[in-house]
Amino acid sequence: MKVTKEAIAGTLESSDLLVKVAPSARGTRDIVIRSEVIKQFGKQIKHVVTDTLDKLSVSGGSIVVEDKGALDCVIRARVQAAVLRACECKELEWEHLS
Amino acid sequence: MNATVEFYTVQPKDAPAEREDIRRLLAANDLELDDQIEAFVVCRREGRLVACAGLDHATIKCVAVAEDMRGESLSLDLGSEVIHLAAARGQFHLFLYSAPHNLPFFRGWGFYPLVEVPERVVLMENSPVAMERYCDSLRAQRRPGQTIGGIVLNANPFTLGHRYLVDQAARACDWLHVFVVKEDASLFSYADRYALVAAGVKDIDNLTLYPGSDYIISRATFPGYFLKDKGIVESSWAAVDLLLFRDYIAPALGIDRRYVGSEPFDAVTNSYNVQMKHWLQQTPSGERPVTVVEIPRASSGGVAISATEVRRLLAQRDFGRIAALVPATTLQFLESKFPVNHTVQ
Repeated sequence: MKVTKEAIAGTLESSDLLVKVAPSARGTRDIVIRSEVIKQFGKQIKHVVTDTLDKLSVSGGSIVVEDKGALDCVIRARVQAAVLRACECKELEWEHLS
Repeated sequence: MNATVEFYTVQPKDAPAEREDIRRLLAANDLELDDQIEAFVVCRREGRLVACAGLDHATIKCVAVAEDMRGESLSLDLGSEVIHLAAARGQFHLFLYSAPHNLPFFRGWGFYPLVEVPERVVLMENSPVAMERYCDSLRAQRRPGQTIGGIVLNANPFTLGHRYLVDQAARACDWLHVFVVKEDASLFSYADRYALVAAGVKDIDNLTLYPGSDYIISRATFPGYFLKDKGIVESSWAAVDLLLFRDYIAPALGIDRRYVGSEPFDAVTNSYNVQMKHWLQQTPSGERPVTVVEIPRASSGGVAISATEVRRLLAQRDFGRIAALVPATTLQFLESKFPVNHTVQ
């Protein structure tokens, strides 16, 4: 999927996260993760974000995550929502969202 | 136990009663209501206004939470609401002004500090990497040399005065970097202003022309600049803009001097020049000082050339007198864009 515009998903509330997606000028995929629990769970959060993006075939775009201690399933859902908005996706391929 | 808390959006211009409540909440927090704000997110708890956050294009300001409501999750909800309001209005790259002591609070909103005017204000943006990426793109344009100059032009429109300034600077420098203010808040559109500057400096070899950015005299970094026709001058806003230039843009390109025309007419621009010497040259900073070089304005018939004067003559379609003030490329553009027979008397 191609990121064609800017989009956000999520909130700043505790146990949630805010995901910001934008087209990247260089066409690369740049992921930046900020988390209140980066020391404990930074690696795992990065893994979930990367895996979710891979399943949606997002190869380019700037992805910024402001995490407030969200569970993996929440991270996955918010990243998916932000990407689908940013790609102006009309038809969902449900198997890629599992 | 759980009192009803309600968030909604208010356009202060259309809702005088809401506006008065907002003004009172801000006053209790030593803040003034900024009339540039187009929309507020407000929060009421059992009817009482307990929190607000204003949005002026891409800039969040006038954020306040009632004292007895702090320390709960209310402020994070407020942050989420205003970020979503901005997104709904097509604004994703956001800036935020805060008093320096509230910086940690807005870090929780996902905002990162760019520059601080000590004891006055901090400018933050909602990306930990956007400025770094912008500076990377500038660094790719670096040029070798002993003296590297920088100029920022609004060029509304490009005159022989601008041409003289750029020409003098280019002669004195090994390389000159010229930025055109991007904000579309002037009589001439950004695209037209940029095209006229490009046409007017085409023959100068040691120069790079840049499109403007959110970080150079934009509505976000220097709101007062675009209010100058109304005579509103906010000196600390100029400081924010100048510190961005000193701390990020100048180091990225190796700019060691900034050129500026002397300003005999316009109070805001003149005050900007004075501020420029202070913030670029005199204030201590982690980055080396940028020398401000003020070049006396070029004049025509004994009067300094200014874009203000060109716009005044243009209103009268006085192309005879405009011809003495602008290069041929600008004159051609003005004549085609403002036909004489359309003059409204």
